[in-house]
Formats: sequence, C-alpha cells, structure tokens
Amino acid sequence: MPPLDAPLGSDPTRWQVRPRSSHRQTFARRGTAAWLLAVFLVMLLPSPVPAQDLGKPYWLEQAIGTRFTSRRDNGPMMQLLQPLVRDAGEATVQVVCGGKPVSLGMVVSPEGFVLTKRSELTEEPLRVRLADQRLLTARLVATRRTSDLALLAVEGLQQIEPLQFSETSPAVASFLVSVGRGGRPIGLGVMGVLPREVKHVGRLGVVLRDDGQGRARVEGVWPESGADEAGMLAGDRIIAVDDQPTAGREAVIAILRDRYPGERVRLTIAREEESLQIKALIRDFSLLQESENDARVNGARSKRLSGFEQVFQHDTPLEPDQCGGPILDSQGRVVGMNIARAGRVITYAIPASLLDQHLASLLQEAQSRSDE
Amino acid sequence: MHTMRPASSLRLGGESNQKGGSVGPRALARLRGLLERSVRGAAGGLVLLGLALWLPASVGLAQQREAAASPNGIALTSAMKGDGGSTFVPPAEVLTKVLEEGKVPTTLDQLRQLEAQQQAVARRAEACTVNVQILGRGPDGVHVGSTQGCGAIITADGFVLTAAHVAERPGLSIRLTLHDGRIVTATTLGMNRAVDAALVKIDEGQNDGEPWPHASLGSSESLTPGMWCIATGHPGGFDPSRGVVTRVGRILVVRDDLLVTDCALIGGDSGGPLFDMWGRLIAIHSRIGNDISDNLHVPVHHYDQSWGKLAAGKAWGYLPGFRPILGVQGTTASDQAEIEAVRAGSPAEKAGIQRGDVIQQFGETVISDFESLKQAVAQTMPGKRIVIRITRGDESKRLVVQIGRDPRS
Repeated sequence: MPPLDAPLGSDPTRWQVRPRSSHRQTFARRGTAAWLLAVFLVMLLPSPVPAQDLGKPYWLEQAIGTRFTSRRDNGPMMQLLQPLVRDAGEATVQVVCGGKPVSLGMVVSPEGFVLTKRSELTEEPLRVRLADQRLLTARLVATRRTSDLALLAVEGLQQIEPLQFSETSPAVASFLVSVGRGGRPIGLGVMGVLPREVKHVGRLGVVLRDDGQGRARVEGVWPESGADEAGMLAGDRIIAVDDQPTAGREAVIAILRDRYPGERVRLTIAREEESLQIKALIRDFSLLQESENDARVNGARSKRLSGFEQVFQHDTPLEPDQCGGPILDSQGRVVGMNIARAGRVITYAIPASLLDQHLASLLQEAQSRSDE
Repeated sequence: MHTMRPASSLRLGGESNQKGGSVGPRALARLRGLLERSVRGAAGGLVLLGLALWLPASVGLAQQREAAASPNGIALTSAMKGDGGSTFVPPAEVLTKVLEEGKVPTTLDQLRQLEAQQQAVARRAEACTVNVQILGRGPDGVHVGSTQGCGAIITADGFVLTAAHVAERPGLSIRLTLHDGRIVTATTLGMNRAVDAALVKIDEGQNDGEPWPHASLGSSESLTPGMWCIATGHPGGFDPSRGVVTRVGRILVVRDDLLVTDCALIGGDSGGPLFDMWGRLIAIHSRIGNDISDNLHVPVHHYDQSWGKLAAGKAWGYLPGFRPILGVQGTTASDQAEIEAVRAGSPAEKAGIQRGDVIQQFGETVISDFESLKQAVAQTMPGKRIVIRITRGDESKRLVVQIGRDPRS
C-alpha cells in the first residue's frame, strides 16, 4: 500500500496504523536528510573537566570575548543602520491576533490599510500596534494565497505615511536590513539567492486507501501532523473536504494538493456509525519529517515555510512573528517583505515588485467590498 | 548592546554563564558540545562557475605541492604555483582598516563599499563551489544511501578541498555537481580526520583541456576575530531550482584547528568554501552547534601543511568524539575475523552480531582477519549504515550495522 499523502520515495514502513496512545518514538523517522545528521552529528562529549578550578583555556577566553562582540549584527553595526530604517519603522506595525503578537505589518495606503503575512492569522480578533504604541482594531479584508499575503483595514490609521516600494533588485551578497515596529533594525543579513518560485509541500498527514465502497479510508496518521492534532484515527473514512463530497482517495488528494501549509481544511468523516466534522491544519512536510536535532539547529520556524510564487532568500535570523515586515537595502529602500522563517540558513522575502502587483488588486478588492 | 533577538530560545545553553563572566565546568562542557556538531546533508545536488584574476599564491603551499605527487600519477601542476585562482578581488583602499582589522564600517558610505566588495567576491565564489555526492553501495550492489556535501576547487587541474567527513575515505569514486549543474566524476585522496580536512581530485579529461575555475588561496595567518567573510555552499543538498547559496558573516573565534563564524551553515554545506573579503579561500565548512553563530570551519593551512600526505591518499586521525566504533573484540592471532566478545549496547550488539561469528565482508571490503576488520571500521564515518556478511556455524548471514562513536575518543 503506497503512502498517498507522502512524497515520492518515502518509506511506507514509517507509517503505522495508530492506536491513539502510541508514542512518536514508535515511528522510525528516517527522513532523507534527517537520520544521518541526527546520528552523526549529535555530540555527547564526555566532560573530562574536574569540578574545581580549571582556569579558562585561552581559546575559551577568546571565545567568550569575541563570540558576542564580533557578530555581524553587533551593537555598533545596528547603530550604524539605525538611520536607514527610521522612516520605514514609522510605517511598520505589530499585528496582534487573539492578544498575541503574530507578525509585523506594513502600512501601505493612506486609507489605513496594512499588508501582512496571512498564515499566522487565526479567526481571533485582530489588532495592530503602531510605532507610537497605540493599539487599533483591524479586520481582514483580502488575501492572496499564492504569496501568503493578507490586507488588513485598520481604524484610525489614516495619518501614517505609507511605505514606498522600490523596484530595485539587490545583487547576491547585498546587505539587507529587516525593520521592526517603530524603526528598530531587527536583523541584518545578505541576499543569498535571487528571487525564485518555492513550491509547497503541505500535508494533512494521513495515509489513505480506497475502502472499496468509493470512500477514502485513513490507514495511518503521521504523528504531530494536522490530522493527528485534529484527532483523526486509522479507520476514519473521509466523506467530504471543505464541503466538497469526495469519492475515494484520488478525489481527496486532488483537493488537498491545492492547500498550502498553514491553511485549515474542514473534513467530513465517517467513524464507525458516526459522522464527524473536524478542522485540520495543513502542515509543512519538512516540519513533520524534522528530527529533534534538525529542530534544534533550525530553531523556531514559520507555519508556512514553502509555497511562494516568488521569493528571494536571505540569511537574517528572524523569529516567526518578525515576518510580515519590510526589508530594506543598504540605501534604505523597501525591497521586499519578510514572509517566512524557513530554517537555520533560510529566510524568505517577497520582492517589492511582486508586492506592488498584489497590492493594487488587494486594495481594489477591499474597495469594492466596502462599496457593497 | 545587541538590538537583535537571539534566533531561537533553544540556542546556546551556556550563554548566561558566559555573560556572567564565570565559567563553570558545566558551561565549559556545554560550550565544547556547542562547538562540535558536524554538518552534513544526506539529500540533494549542486552548481559551479569560473572567473579569472591574478593573485600570488601562498609560496609554502606551492612548494609543498610541487614536491608531492600521488601514487596514481596525479602530478601537481604549475597552475598551483601561482596562477592565483579566480576569486581574488582587490578591495577599495577605504576598506583597508575595516577588512584587515576586522572592524565594523564607521559610515554608511563605508558600509556600501564593503557591500560592493561582498558582491564582487560572491559573484566569483560561486564558480568554484561544488556539490559532492558519495553514492553508497552495498556488497550486493544495492544502493544503501547517499550523502551530500560541498567542495572548493583550488587548482586549474581540479584539486578540490573538502571535509574529511564528506569524503569518507581515500580512493572512492564520487560525483561532483558544478554550479551550472554539470556533473563530473572525481576521486577522494587523503584526509586528516583529526581536523576534518580532505583532498579530492577531479578525474582527468572532463573539461576539454580547459582549466577548472578555482579559488584564490588565502592563509590562516593574519586572521583575527571580527574579519568579514563569505560562505558559499549547498545547504540541504543540491537544488537545481536554487543553486549556490551565499552567506556573509564575521570570524568570531580563531584557533589553530578551527574557525568559528556567524555565516550560518547547515547539513549539505560541509566541505564548502569560506572566503575572506579579498576573495581568498581561508577555510572549509565542517560542523555546527545549535546556536546560529556556532559555525565551524577547517582553516586552510591544514591542507597546506599536509599536502604531501593528502595528495598521496593517506588517511589519519579522528575528530575528537568521532572515533568510529563497532564494539567487538577479537584476536589478531587468528587468520580470520572471529568475534570473541560483543560489548553490551554496542552497534555490533544492536545489529545482532554474536560471539563466535566470523566477519567475512564489511561494506565493500572483504575481511581476511581481525586487523582488516579494525582497518575497515576505522575508515567508516560514525552514523554510517554498513552491510556486514558473516558466517555463524554453517550459516551465512547478512546484517546491517550502524557504526557508532566511541564516547571515550
């Protein structure tokens, strides 16, 4: 039985028909990149060091002295960059969803619209915090799934000067400065890879098989997947996805294939004699496959870290809730929006030229809605 | 003061201790742990390009190379004596202090000059960055897995520097993917596992007699913390839709056997080049710690010092904590590799090896006695899965063992 909701070449033995109580360690995680790293790289140096006075070896002393002060994003460097980001910072807001900061946002029109990252927003109430500390109510008015963008309408935002996008496309190794609310540089990095499409690898996290009666039967559930969290069980039969009736696994897969990581699907499920409605999160497959060691070296990552029609890649370390804000070149021009923290060496940003295109149509959409 | 947040709350467990100024043994042990985590990808592919500028090469390196010739007749060519490679870019004079002393630019104008220098070096660096792939084969010809790393071409005739844990062992036939997606074959030569340095040679006759684009060579001598540097590689393995990934950072720690930088690396980058801001190769990526600024590189002088042995295909040493171990005892007095004891909890025990088993084959190596088994294990990277053929009584068996690390090493 092939794993239907898994990538080509994945090993069916990784899947296990799951009693609800099974632990994650019963699943051999042999993601291609994962096992070698995990086994080979984790280091358990015995501590040959006696408990008392050991003195400091020269190299350690040196490490302590320079490890922090010599970083490329040290204090003097960030101070130098401060004037570059001042203006952009005035138009950078923090997006608060259900009381928690989830992303940054950019003021993009004099009418008080804010552009931000879609996938970190839930259905809970939205607010934005401005550079001057004011906290204003916001609502979601339009989205672009292909680039994970959301447009928010914010009450009382009118007096803020919107950001101007630049058509400049920085060369590889150009400095890039990420901006926080109120004009703080929150990160320094360089252009690592020029703009390209990054295809998505979203998975619900189930293995499916036709049950012979025209329905998709769940054979196994991937641990910590959206299906797992939503409580799906082996033996469940999927009747419909987002209210579209599904006749068999091909039909389910065809719908799921179109869903991006970070999106939720509504599943209608037959379990024994019952019929259930559940909502499950589509998760990025690389997160599902990640070993503990990978997780440690990668740090916190965005929910949606793949599936972007065009992004450039840079090496600025950001927290997931620091995405959605502007990224500037060394002249202080807005060249893009950080859209995902995707790994230790990867942050993706949408080029300003693409933001411009989307913004025009998003604003139009918002306008026509408010006319209704 | 840092205005940035740390990249992750998981990072750098010893940080608070260090900031407090007192370093206890636990902090020390932890810091050591942070400093020693190996980087290697096990999925993927790569790219390469070439440019030409003139730079006087390190004399010491050239002389040693001239003296060296590998046993299979690879003569070291004049190209290594000083054609200078294709990555050197003379920096603007205003940058002298910033670059030589490892300083932060003092004006935005200087920052932009530094940026222009970075861009120029990055353009050239791509061409000599290659992806390295070892294709593993079991004794029955079955593909048992592949790993990926990177390498840096350093001569016109195709010598490539990489990490020992990428090259694995001497004499392997490997696959290099150049920056443009072209695939060439190469052979692993010698390696100094004690510092994670290895040498590879691109097989002859694959470039129509044209020189390979190659890195200008730097030295480890004048390196100081704070110096700006550029890392290239194929994080996560070769991705044809992406190509080489460039990172810029600064040197944080200089030791004889390693450099630490904040050029963020991850599996797949190992073996790739680290350049100084003049575009000279100064080190090879080796391993990482959890913290985003724990990225370790092998200084280039280790290749220089051992060039003769490396070119001659010698392999020696092991990285502290990374000595490969199987966990069996036998006697070298016997004319076969008979197992006399299996250590509890060892890789051998987990694989099902028992007392009295006779090892016939270890991976691709035919085992004749216990000494040859020891040699075969010593040539294997910890973590590697190896197919072993044994005889137990009248029975022949096939077992798969995952080589471990000797915690005492």
